[in-house]
Amino acid sequence: MMTFEQFKDECFRIALEKGCESAEVYAISSDGFSVNILMGEIAKYSIERNNGLNLRVLFNGKSGYAYTEVFEDAESLVDHAIDNAKAIENTDANPMQGECEYPEIEEKPNPVVEMSEDEKIALAMNLEKDTLAFDDRVNRTRFCSVDTGVSSTHIHNTLGLHADSEDKYSYAVIMPILRQGEEENSSFAFKFGPDITEYNDIIKESVDNALMQFNAKTVDSGEYRVLLRNDAAGSLLQAFSSMFFAGSVQKGLSLLAGKLGEQVANPAITIIDDPFEKDNPRKFDAEGVPSVVTTVVENGVLKSYLYNLKTALKDGVVSTSNAGRAGVAAPVETAPSNFYIMKGEKSYDKLVSELDHGLIITELSGLHAGLNPVSGDFSLIAKGLLVDKGTILRSVDQITCAGNFLTMMKNIIDIGSDLRFGPPGFGRVGSPSLLIDKLIISGK
Amino acid sequence: MVKNSIVNAVLDEALRTGGDFSELYLQDTESNTMTMIDGKVENANYKRNVGAGVRVLKGTRSAYAYSADTSEAALIACAKAAASALKGEREFEAKSICVDRIGESFAKIPFSEINNAKRIELLRKGTAAAKAHSEEITQVVANYMDFDHRTWVYNSEGVHAEDRRPRVRTAVQAVAMANGEAQTGTCSPGYGMGFEAYNEKINIEEVGREAAKTAVTMLHAPECPAGTVPVVIDGGFGGVILHEACVHGLEATSVGRGNSVFCGKLGQQIASPIVNAVDDGTLPGEWGSMHYDDEGNPAQCNHLIENGILKTYLVDILGSRLMNHPVTGSGRRQDYTYAPTSRMTNTFFAPGQDDEEEMLRTMGEGLFAAKMGGGSVNPLTGEFNFAVSEGYWVRDGKILCPVRGATLIGKGAEVLMKIDRIGRKMWMAPGMCGSLSGSIPTNVGQPRIRVSEIVVGGKGGAL
Repeated sequence: MMTFEQFKDECFRIALEKGCESAEVYAISSDGFSVNILMGEIAKYSIERNNGLNLRVLFNGKSGYAYTEVFEDAESLVDHAIDNAKAIENTDANPMQGECEYPEIEEKPNPVVEMSEDEKIALAMNLEKDTLAFDDRVNRTRFCSVDTGVSSTHIHNTLGLHADSEDKYSYAVIMPILRQGEEENSSFAFKFGPDITEYNDIIKESVDNALMQFNAKTVDSGEYRVLLRNDAAGSLLQAFSSMFFAGSVQKGLSLLAGKLGEQVANPAITIIDDPFEKDNPRKFDAEGVPSVVTTVVENGVLKSYLYNLKTALKDGVVSTSNAGRAGVAAPVETAPSNFYIMKGEKSYDKLVSELDHGLIITELSGLHAGLNPVSGDFSLIAKGLLVDKGTILRSVDQITCAGNFLTMMKNIIDIGSDLRFGPPGFGRVGSPSLLIDKLIISGK
Repeated sequence: MVKNSIVNAVLDEALRTGGDFSELYLQDTESNTMTMIDGKVENANYKRNVGAGVRVLKGTRSAYAYSADTSEAALIACAKAAASALKGEREFEAKSICVDRIGESFAKIPFSEINNAKRIELLRKGTAAAKAHSEEITQVVANYMDFDHRTWVYNSEGVHAEDRRPRVRTAVQAVAMANGEAQTGTCSPGYGMGFEAYNEKINIEEVGREAAKTAVTMLHAPECPAGTVPVVIDGGFGGVILHEACVHGLEATSVGRGNSVFCGKLGQQIASPIVNAVDDGTLPGEWGSMHYDDEGNPAQCNHLIENGILKTYLVDILGSRLMNHPVTGSGRRQDYTYAPTSRMTNTFFAPGQDDEEEMLRTMGEGLFAAKMGGGSVNPLTGEFNFAVSEGYWVRDGKILCPVRGATLIGKGAEVLMKIDRIGRKMWMAPGMCGSLSGSIPTNVGQPRIRVSEIVVGGKGGAL
């Protein structure tokens, strides 16, 4: 098998020989380690070596893709890509990024990645042991893992683009099961970055969240004032983030079409896409475009969509560095970087007292099915807490929480100071807790 | 794909530190995908995934190492990496390969004989049919996928199993818009067949029309009222209720660790006596079918529930050790980047004896869920949720009007007992199921059924 450099050069040479205007490779190689401990035993131990290369060619102005994990037979890969370019009927131009400079990003050391396997296993073992000891009601764990690795991304093309980055990642996940009488409940918490060795906060968070669910009952169906806790609000914003993509707008799949400059949310809402956010910074996007910060919504007014090179050219603007790929084998689409609602001034506890009478929603599930990013409608299973006179009365489950995302953005009364991000992935999304005038709750 | 001498060296190396079972999995998958938006091809993609994984078991401990490189050196490196999880001395040697299981491809027309022009023609027909349904259809997204998934499994007990699983799927999503509102409808059939599926099973124009019909119907539907009411769920993808509300809780991944409401319930009544449920991986040409599972065991027809009594769990090799239960041909994984675990194949409620019209006529006021979207479940508590993509409100046993935005929630163990009607005609529909071993193709299915009461979520007022 050829090396990456050899195979890339071979692909470029053959592509140009066969009449392509340009060619680009997007390649990721990574080495990872993952361990999952259950009741003091290694339940999963995994060593991971990934290596894949996605070729994109421009042929008669159309782009075609082909992906492989075997660095042999460059000609067949180029032929597949040209064949796919020939199939394209969309007449939009397909720009590629040329040679460019990148902003410096401070590289933080990650000592967890450098730890030996035995040390990482011991870390996971201790995380489980300390979780079991944290509270008498912790009966067992359902999941307790430590993952680490190094991932290298290379985006090179025949126009002189040479974008390379290396990411050292580490994260820990804990999911305790708590038991009280015959009832069992579980919850999970995660932590990313170099300080996963300081894991007491996620133990407390996961145990508190599981404890909160005991003796839950449903509530009467009806309209409720709702405090959407930061993590639930973030998951909802993530699920609807495609509404803000220029690609969705251009294809008639977003209700934000034609709304630039208009009030789309309560004036308290400002939404930012910040590739430099300190805990997850990046130099460039999935097309090698240098990172820029974008204000998407400012004081409730829609200021910009999120663009990649192609959708920007179509609207006559510059890319907001939001090209994304849903994995190395996927084509270029749009994805947020660190996309979040700016925090307000009130603490979570203050918002609970301002909620006065209503529901705190602590968890929303089924987001892949129970919502529609085109219509903005959602109807999701939820868990939460019933609040009266600013005091938490009891736990609530077996309810659904329904509304429309755009209507909800206008019905926000207040915003917490507790901005929190979800896990990184195909975009990392964050939100503070949001106090909302009304959502429809279905219970009994 | 790899010489037997190399296979044996890899399996034996993996047992060097005290493992009692080792397994080598190799995969080579080619796939083509195409997206047409508004009648124009937007994207075409070719993908080849090749890689290998080595797993070592010692009792209920498991270690897995994988690599995109399948050279002899890389396979040995995987074996060493997996073995390094155990710190003991050798106890077993790998047996020479003595059992050969070869699964032939179901494809009559392999995808290598299909060019992009054929794929475009299909998407064009589906798009045109959707557009022609109504002027309110403003956008049509049509997706084409074909997969040729080849697997080789070898283990230290001398088993060699090869399988070849062709798969086709086409999805048409239609968007209907009016007065600043948008609703979508989707239809997405899929089969474990070659391109002949488009001659034998899938009428692409019908797919386009179905998607458009749902979108337009929902555009003119009021919001679904919220409350606890009787619900009739139609056949086909309606079977997602069985998948989410019950069978995830029968997988060894949950049961083997004591994390399911169905633990310890074998031989007990877990569903209404009219309920029979099956997971059958052997059905030729179906989306969730295979000859051998991803641990090399033959696919099986597993009768999960008979007359409401729980008969078996779905069990993989590791699960069989945790549970002291025979394997059920249920070891599956997305690809070589995952170790296998217990999963579903084609899972459905078997046909019953009730009249499809009678169950609507006698339901009083409630919801008729004609088409279901996806859902999810927490197996520990059995709490499930799923979306209704095309629903109708029923009053006095008659359909009153379509309703949009409905979600069904509940607890699996409770809902199974509340099934009071099961129709006579069963059919299936494909989905992708996500769990510990990745995203895999599974069919869900059922005849039309009725549940005496279930929580319906929605944001509408009285109709």
